[in-house]
Amino acid sequence: MPESVSNITAQMPRAKLAGLLLFFLGPAVAIYTLFSIYPLVATMALSTYTSDPSGARYFVGLANFETLLGDALWSKPFWNAFGNNLIFFAVHMCVQNPIGIALAGLLSLPGLRLKGFYRTVMFLPTMLSVVIVGFSWNLILSPLWGVASGALKAVGLGSLFAPWLGLESSALVTLSLISVWQFVGIPMMLIYAALLNIPEELIDAARVDGLGHFRIFFHIKLPLVLPTISLVSVLTFVANFNAFDLIYSVKGALAGPNFATDILGTFFYRTFFGNQLQLGNPTMGSAVATVMFFIILLGLCLYLFLVQRRVRRYAF
Amino acid sequence: MANLRIEHLNKRYGATTVLNDVNLDIEDGEFVVLVGPSGCGKSTLLRMIAGLDGASGGDIQIAGKLVNTLAPAERGIAMVFQSYALYPHMNVRKNMTFGLKFTGVPPAERDRRVAEAARMLRLDELLERYPRDLSGGQRQRVAIGRAIVREPAVFLFDEPLSNLDAALRVSTRVEIANLHRMLKSTIVYVTHDQVEAMTLADRIVVMNKGCIEQVGRPLDLYYAPANLFVAGFIGSPAMNFFEAKVGSVEGGCARISGPGFRSFDLPATSLKVGDSLTVGVRPEHLGRGEDGPFAVEGVVELVERLGEASFAYVRRADDRLFVAEVRGRQTPTPGERATLIAAARDVHVFDAAGLRVTTQNDA
Repeated sequence: MPESVSNITAQMPRAKLAGLLLFFLGPAVAIYTLFSIYPLVATMALSTYTSDPSGARYFVGLANFETLLGDALWSKPFWNAFGNNLIFFAVHMCVQNPIGIALAGLLSLPGLRLKGFYRTVMFLPTMLSVVIVGFSWNLILSPLWGVASGALKAVGLGSLFAPWLGLESSALVTLSLISVWQFVGIPMMLIYAALLNIPEELIDAARVDGLGHFRIFFHIKLPLVLPTISLVSVLTFVANFNAFDLIYSVKGALAGPNFATDILGTFFYRTFFGNQLQLGNPTMGSAVATVMFFIILLGLCLYLFLVQRRVRRYAF
Repeated sequence: MANLRIEHLNKRYGATTVLNDVNLDIEDGEFVVLVGPSGCGKSTLLRMIAGLDGASGGDIQIAGKLVNTLAPAERGIAMVFQSYALYPHMNVRKNMTFGLKFTGVPPAERDRRVAEAARMLRLDELLERYPRDLSGGQRQRVAIGRAIVREPAVFLFDEPLSNLDAALRVSTRVEIANLHRMLKSTIVYVTHDQVEAMTLADRIVVMNKGCIEQVGRPLDLYYAPANLFVAGFIGSPAMNFFEAKVGSVEGGCARISGPGFRSFDLPATSLKVGDSLTVGVRPEHLGRGEDGPFAVEGVVELVERLGEASFAYVRRADDRLFVAEVRGRQTPTPGERATLIAAARDVHVFDAAGLRVTTQNDA
């Protein structure tokens, strides 16, 4: 029997072991530290400072957070952005993931022709630049020259058309749906891969038990891909609370109309870099970024403790 | 419980023919084993009986009813899969009742059937457990239990023992045989293992390249294989084959000669002078001796000792190897010259097409 790794390392001279560790782990640790750990710590540190007009910085402890959550001038837009972000996330969870699951279920049907074609077509938007997607949908939905109104008229639903992106009531949901359209390929692919992993004989057994395709999906396949669905959910959560690009490219940093589409990403951007009459405030921006970090951390912890521990992965 | 009739069944995938004109009649309560090398179509045939694969042509009747267009659950069959295919997210009880729920069996009846199957298969202790907590043998019993509660007309087994270790395979084989005795149900069982086929079957169906080569009781296949394929497939080590020719025919007796063995007379009337033949003798029917109805000589090259017997690999005069099973404590030694003989009834003769030549010895 070959010697176990722990035995080999235990017998190694300390210096040699350290050299080996450095050789194998060093590069990854260095890059991760430089680009992930350092910026995170530096941002958190910066959030405890404030600067005067001369540019000098003073340590103020948690004062920035008190301002952000206590001063109505800051807290109102912050909670607005947070609320909008929750809606943004809710639309993804309720629309993107169910559609992704359904598409994956359809793709995994036996005997479906042109599988590869459908898969590619549905995944294609995910590979497009968000800027291009945002710009295209902006044009499509434009009440002046967009094709949406014409297309609705052509099928006799012209009266349903509204300038969705321009209305406070519908802008956020419209943007969320654009994002859903773009990224539905990701849950589809992940769940499709999980569905392919289910052994054929299990499906055969269910057929012998008298289940049709629909019931097989709900009673057999769906429970078996639950771990993947929960993974997709947590990926969606992280991506949604870090989102910025689509809102910025469609509505600009002001996230109009009247901040109706403002989410934490755009709120952070305006705070940190400034926009129009608002001056950039890196220390306050860092505070926003830190709060965003903790929101996501809290969400992940809740997921890990409440969901992940109960989800069971099945070995086939 | 029911009979099963398969008529002119065909299965093609594009240009490849998987099953070619398969005809088979299975009696009520019969245990039939489909056996053959991988890719012979035996699993496809089973899946077609189950309704998991459609037929390209031909009919399947279960209990006199044409089931070609029926869904698997409507055919009155139950199937046990090679990987057991238990639902991993359901406990044993739910695994067994799951199908019943969808076929309209009332809850009280479901419980009764599960209790009975559990008693029969010693599953009572396991009903609340999940498949992941069960051993291979227990999973196998649950899979069989799931089949029993359906109370099917025909049980279908698809290589059910191949995922078990050797010892468990033997005991589960006995359990399946017992189960058949108790349930008296019709069983179609697919395996590539000829020991399973010989021990379990009332009748064996030997398949090769999508065709049925022979159907018969286990010992009939062993003692009177209908063709070269069955002769070579049934029995381990495989039957020895010798090329031969008919030298002369006189008064219902043909003189058979060929390289490597002594010429002998065969009481067969169907042969003509110059016919090419293949003579087959099983290793276990060759014994040491001086002269017999069939005798072959050679030099022992290698000996495999198994304890209860030894296999001697003997090189013939024409430089081909054959195998003889030698019983007893006196094992042959490599390099030794040996003469091996067989009784006339143990000599199988096949014609140029590979079909068995019937002789008076068969009677």
